[in-house]
Amino acid sequence: MNLTVWCQRCLTTPTLRVGMLMGLALLALNAGDAMAKDVFPFPVTNRTLDNGLRVVMVPFDSPGIVAYYTIVRAGSRNEVEPGKSGFAHFFEHMMFRGTDRFSGDAFNALYRHLGSDPNAFTSDDITVYHALVSKDGLEQVVDVESDRFMNLKYSESDFKQESKAVLGEYNKNYSDPENKLYEKSRETAFSTHTYKHTTMGFLQDIEDMPNQYAYSREFFRRYYAPQNCVVLVVGDFDTEKTFALLKKYYSPWKATADLATVPAEPQQTAVRTAHVDWNNATLPYLCVSFKAPAFDTKTKDTAALDLLGSLLFDETSPLYQELVIRDQKVEELSVYAPFRRDPGLFMVFAKVKDASQLDAVRNRIYQTVEEAATTPVDAKRLADVKSNVRYSFAMSLGTARSVAGQLTSVIGLTGDAAALNELYRRYDEVKADDLTRVAGSYLTRARATEVTLTGGAQ
Amino acid sequence: MNRRSLIMLPLIALLLAAITISLPHDARTANAGIPTVLLPIASSPLITFRIQFRAGAADDPEGKKGLTELTADMLTEGGTTKHSYEEITALLYPMASSVNAIVDKDVTTFVGTTHIDNLDRYLDLFLQVLLEPRFDARDFDRLRTNQKSYLENTLRGANDEELGKQSLNTFMYAGHPYGYPDQGLASNLDAITLDDVKAHYAKMFTRANVTIGLAGGYPKDLAGKVSKALEKLPATAPAHAAHPATRPISGIEVLAVEKDTRSTAISIGFPIDVTRADADFYALMVANSHLGEHRTMNGVLMNRMREVRGLNYGDYSYIEHFVQDGGTTFPITNIPRSEQYFSIWIRPVQPQHRQFALRLALFELNRLVTDGMTQAQFEEARSFVKNYSKLWAQDQGRRLGYLMDSRFYGMDDFLGTLPAKLDALTLDQVNAAIKKHLRSDNLKVAVVTKGAEAFLNDVANNTPSPIVYEAEGIPQAVIDEDKVVAVYKINVNKAASKVVNVAEMFK
Repeated sequence: MNLTVWCQRCLTTPTLRVGMLMGLALLALNAGDAMAKDVFPFPVTNRTLDNGLRVVMVPFDSPGIVAYYTIVRAGSRNEVEPGKSGFAHFFEHMMFRGTDRFSGDAFNALYRHLGSDPNAFTSDDITVYHALVSKDGLEQVVDVESDRFMNLKYSESDFKQESKAVLGEYNKNYSDPENKLYEKSRETAFSTHTYKHTTMGFLQDIEDMPNQYAYSREFFRRYYAPQNCVVLVVGDFDTEKTFALLKKYYSPWKATADLATVPAEPQQTAVRTAHVDWNNATLPYLCVSFKAPAFDTKTKDTAALDLLGSLLFDETSPLYQELVIRDQKVEELSVYAPFRRDPGLFMVFAKVKDASQLDAVRNRIYQTVEEAATTPVDAKRLADVKSNVRYSFAMSLGTARSVAGQLTSVIGLTGDAAALNELYRRYDEVKADDLTRVAGSYLTRARATEVTLTGGAQ
Repeated sequence: MNRRSLIMLPLIALLLAAITISLPHDARTANAGIPTVLLPIASSPLITFRIQFRAGAADDPEGKKGLTELTADMLTEGGTTKHSYEEITALLYPMASSVNAIVDKDVTTFVGTTHIDNLDRYLDLFLQVLLEPRFDARDFDRLRTNQKSYLENTLRGANDEELGKQSLNTFMYAGHPYGYPDQGLASNLDAITLDDVKAHYAKMFTRANVTIGLAGGYPKDLAGKVSKALEKLPATAPAHAAHPATRPISGIEVLAVEKDTRSTAISIGFPIDVTRADADFYALMVANSHLGEHRTMNGVLMNRMREVRGLNYGDYSYIEHFVQDGGTTFPITNIPRSEQYFSIWIRPVQPQHRQFALRLALFELNRLVTDGMTQAQFEEARSFVKNYSKLWAQDQGRRLGYLMDSRFYGMDDFLGTLPAKLDALTLDQVNAAIKKHLRSDNLKVAVVTKGAEAFLNDVANNTPSPIVYEAEGIPQAVIDEDKVVAVYKINVNKAASKVVNVAEMFK
């Protein structure tokens, strides 16, 4: 399912706890005390320039290679005006259109010369520009990247042409019923908050994008300012020399962020439902979404709910074994509960083999979360899921890019790389009664949205 | 060698050092003749397994298309004699490890990675999966149903781009063992029994057919242990039926798949006689990077179709089978093929632009074939490939995959030798390879679109297809070129072309 909009040539995922890349970092994982220490094994240097731009530098053993990331803490969450859904993502495309110093062609030519492939992605909360470059090209990259954030310039004609590429992106994604189900679930679950729309945006808004040139400049003014951005460098470099480069090139950036208020979602009090008719062949789908809390590492709720998602719905869960393996009523069962700055969704997806089973599957999902609120999970399963989390993380630190990907997520959510270690401390602290508590607090029918999708035969 | 190359040396040196250590002939002898590719990285806490069988979807018998894929799934998702699938997943879960299969036309590779803390337990399960499959009837029902559903629902109903690519594959390789999805055909799956799976496993997944790949910080005795365990496999060497020649293509042959969809997916291609084992492959790498390097802004197709005209999200070209590796833009490894094909992937366009988009892609391909590359284009593309390829093996699994693929092609390390091969190229060699292997006249086109019959008629009749932009300020040179492209003549072979409803695909 395409839940984040990967743009042009996207390389990494902003979702924590995803990824099974090879690791070169020797981590202490044998002992039960692993979580007492910081889970992130590399030294992190944080600095802030006078203009408010934060830089995070992480030397890493990737000979000759540097991962260079610019994290803008704005995404589709910040599309607060009606009719402007999808704009953060569209604007990300425009960032490749050049400046007076480096035209779009010159920008591409520079990276081509470096043998690199700059890319970007947008999600609900962040827009990230990234490239993997050779060490000796770093100054050129700092130069060209800082330049486009300070001096972006594009014509209305370029703007309109690019909007067609975005429409093409929508079209390619929406031959998949799962994307439509996801879109409808969010639209139904939220009445007010901007999480109502996906990062891709509503089709009617995408079709109107060519008329929004002025708004695009306004979006840039509001969010593309040093106080709202973080530059992250991971790989083979000298920290002080690199900081000097960053200071030299980014200090002239004088913009001031002007963050629009994101409207809060009112408390939901009753289950919401919707249905999608799909005009092509598909198995029937069901998505039950529960309102989840905002990402937080000061309490255990985020960590507990994340572990609970795995315990209740992933491949080793009793429900999965029942519905997918034993009874074979369901082809796929999965949970998607990404961390978000504001209260988001804990989504359970089921791809059902026969539409007559949709009600039964929905009832089993509710029974499962209701039991979780009253019946503590056994100690072995809790230990297993924590072990899975630890090893998944250890195995995701193998390359400069994957390390940058892990940090990007928490920096986007909190502005602070230290939240990564805090999160893993919270995982370690979760007890069985934390799981029953968060199940009872968040996974309730009053906070639920049910969306079904069924297709027509070809 | 330029400065940047020098900077890259440590990485390459690491790779080369590892390779030097990794292919000990005595180890191969000690391993009862099982070929072994080793990539030791002492500092890595992870161990990567890639066990490859020279058995792929091209080995599926007539009437049983999809059998290799189903057999591989029965191993990785069907449990072992000791443990049900439920138990296997529960045992692997605390290690955050898994055993997966990559099935392609000529090979099937079982892959997995684990942390050294868990090596013994993981190795035991990995070997059970390979050597002691459970072959339970309930798992067979589940996996066969899923595989059929993939063809009937996912491929037909949920992914126009993949549908377009698979349609091209089916059309391009008609009458050839490659000419089916790896998942097979729906009717053939109905005909496959559990006994078929057991027999196929015994016949194709043998000791004489396997290569061991290991990477990371593994103990010295691991290769020996794995090799000894694999000796339990049957010793018989399965015969691979000789592939018939692909059918000659006359003119532009079109498969238009009728589907109720918002946009039009287009894939273009033809078989070529070049693989990584051939000198011309490297010349074509440069030409292809210039024309359409996967998901970069460098290619002519991407520039002319998306950047300049906003026709779609992306346009790329390939000189070998390409599957993108997860969240990267790099190809997955361990899908080597004895026969390759050239292709162009035009991501979905709006229906009103479908004929123009096809014309423009063929127009640009024709320009490359007719004019070749300039010295500047050649040097730019070569430099890019040389540097970009250094990013293709940043982790041990991918590095091992490339080494195993090199072995398949009977060559020295592909990535390690690539820079020297690129350095040795000349513009004349590249342009000669373009002339020899690429063409814009005799090729296959697969489209997924609503109104397929009308599309086929339009392209066959060379109906003019002018493009109208909403944007103002389009450069005059583009508008002038559009006038040429709008009437660019395509020689469609109507007799060899057809319209097929999507419900009829992969039956």
